[in-house]
Amino acid sequence: MTQTIELGSSIERVTLASLFLGFLKVSLLGFGGGLVWARRIVVEQRRWVDDQEFAEILTLCQFMPGPNIVGITTCVGSRLRGAVGAIAAVAGFILIPWTIGLSLGGLYLRFAHLAVLRNILGGLSAAAAGLMIATGIRLLMPHRNRRAALLFAALAFVGLAFTKLSLLVVLLGLAPISIAVAGIATARAS
Amino acid sequence: MSSRSASVVLAAHLALLSSISFGGFPSVLPDVHNFVTANGWVTDREFADFFAISQVVPGPNMILMMSFIGLKVGGIPGAVTSALATFGPPCVMYYTAYRLWDRFRDRPWQQIVRRGLVPLTIGLVIAGGYVIARAADIGWQNALVTAAAMGVMLGTRLNPLWALMAGGVLGAIGFLTPGE
Repeated sequence: MTQTIELGSSIERVTLASLFLGFLKVSLLGFGGGLVWARRIVVEQRRWVDDQEFAEILTLCQFMPGPNIVGITTCVGSRLRGAVGAIAAVAGFILIPWTIGLSLGGLYLRFAHLAVLRNILGGLSAAAAGLMIATGIRLLMPHRNRRAALLFAALAFVGLAFTKLSLLVVLLGLAPISIAVAGIATARAS
Repeated sequence: MSSRSASVVLAAHLALLSSISFGGFPSVLPDVHNFVTANGWVTDREFADFFAISQVVPGPNMILMMSFIGLKVGGIPGAVTSALATFGPPCVMYYTAYRLWDRFRDRPWQQIVRRGLVPLTIGLVIAGGYVIARAADIGWQNALVTAAAMGVMLGTRLNPLWALMAGGVLGAIGFLTPGE
């Protein structure tokens, strides 16, 4: 495991079981936005990576196809324990929750028309939205002293929330400008 | 078409879609919808129900939703192949990309790219929350619940699960549906 030693200067070796269990928890709690729980468990509770690195991993996943949370799971697992770590984390994320979800879902389909269930769903969504916004704000905290970072976060927010543009268009439109500004700022600082 | 070959066709289509689903799987949902309804496998109503249920059940939402479709098309084997097709190809890509990314971690160009891209990602996360809030919005009560959940998460060390539970209970007692 030379990989782990190279990468994880301050990290003690994380066991495969704890990766499996950690992402099992992310998955089971991840109603309405796994991201909230992924950050809470990976960054706050287990301290596997910090906010900065979590945001970087999330960024990489945003630019890749597929479910972002599965991407975060793969990357964090790989970061801590290489390929086996990625497999353990993804297995934890999917195996048990998928089995439970499929069984519950079958049951649920019969009662989906009930008004009370729809109301509960509405309340859960509203709360889940608040948690999601709060997670974004937390991720922004390490960058709060960089005006350009705040500006581009705001532009991305507006682009997605208030226009009909697709995610890919917003990302590809803003990314070159944002990178250029970061490049200029870095050149000036040095 | 037998249910077995239908499952294979579905899985192949899902594998293709998951490999190009930039911006997350929800971005290819319209395509899945057209594909499965055109084949007569799933009705509009069922599709909407699958979506709603996959959102309520904890766990990997989109993988589950595709599994519900697979279940309908080819039973348990159909559900399994749909799940694999949904997360398998992206997992391999994530892994490869992360390895490459990590290898060049200390290069100055990568640090600049990171400084440029990370704020965008964060803006998108906040926008995601905002969009969900708007989708659920049928009055000030919903906005209040959203704001309260935000406050709980930012201002306290409380487990966010409490905010979700409170939202569910308020929904159940009818607090969020004043019009009905």
